[in-house]
Amino acid sequence: VAKTSLTSPPWPEVKLPDPVEEAKYHAEVVRKVNGLISAGQYGRLFAVVHFASKQWKITSEDLIMMDNVLEAECGDRIRMEKVLLVGADDFTLVGRPLLGKDLVRVEATVIEKTESWPKVNVRFWRRHNFQRKKIIANPQTVLRINTIEIYPCLS
Amino acid sequence: RYVRQLQRLQLLFSPTAADARGAREFVEEAAQDFARQHPDVVLYVSPHAGPGPAPVLRAEYLNGTVRDELIASKTSEEIVQLATKLASQSGLDIIRIRKPFHTDNPSIQGQWHPLTNKPSILTVQGPRLQPQ
Repeated sequence: VAKTSLTSPPWPEVKLPDPVEEAKYHAEVVRKVNGLISAGQYGRLFAVVHFASKQWKITSEDLIMMDNVLEAECGDRIRMEKVLLVGADDFTLVGRPLLGKDLVRVEATVIEKTESWPKVNVRFWRRHNFQRKKIIANPQTVLRINTIEIYPCLS
Repeated sequence: RYVRQLQRLQLLFSPTAADARGAREFVEEAAQDFARQHPDVVLYVSPHAGPGPAPVLRAEYLNGTVRDELIASKTSEEIVQLATKLASQSGLDIIRIRKPFHTDNPSIQGQWHPLTNKPSILTVQGPRLQPQ
């Protein structure tokens, strides 16, 4: 059969590797990463955490502000679950969709609970003599991420 | 490792004014409870006799900002809520903040620039270029 421009797809053909070799390669990679974690050879860790209906990329010692009220008082330590991703300089651990609680530990402290700046909510209809003015100040909480730790128990 | 940002709370009111009734009730009943619940805040009560300025709750923070809140014609529960709110604030200005997060080290694995994850010219096998 003659070869036309539509016989083969326009993207380059990819050959998948052998599943046995693939499994061996995966096991080797997991062993190496486990070795690195247990030896403690990672610098800063960053994590992607789902908190207050938003996903944040956090490292240690950084500030985060929520637009809601948490039930913890100022100065309480909070442990964040729902960790989606953890990474360091050489490796990353991706969860599907969450990582286990015995793998990662993210701790944060509540620093302050203030209100936002006073926002003005004005409703106006022209030619109808309708004006309403309302000042809204949402409560906010500020957290500081203390530590992110991982424990060597991969599988 | 948590330091409360409120230094002291000064309650300025006059005992004879009519609109300082809530402040007087607060001083009689709730001031001791408040002081015990927040042991690292100093509460000063300074009544000035005779007609003076309006009753004011003044909060001073560790970075020097002073915030005044009027307590005229407020009940003592509202004053308690106000005081707790001020106690959990820090002395930064309440203006619009642009970003709800702040990091000192934003990138760990190196910041992305358009040349990451691209093969370099030295390894491309084209019709004319030879790998060196």
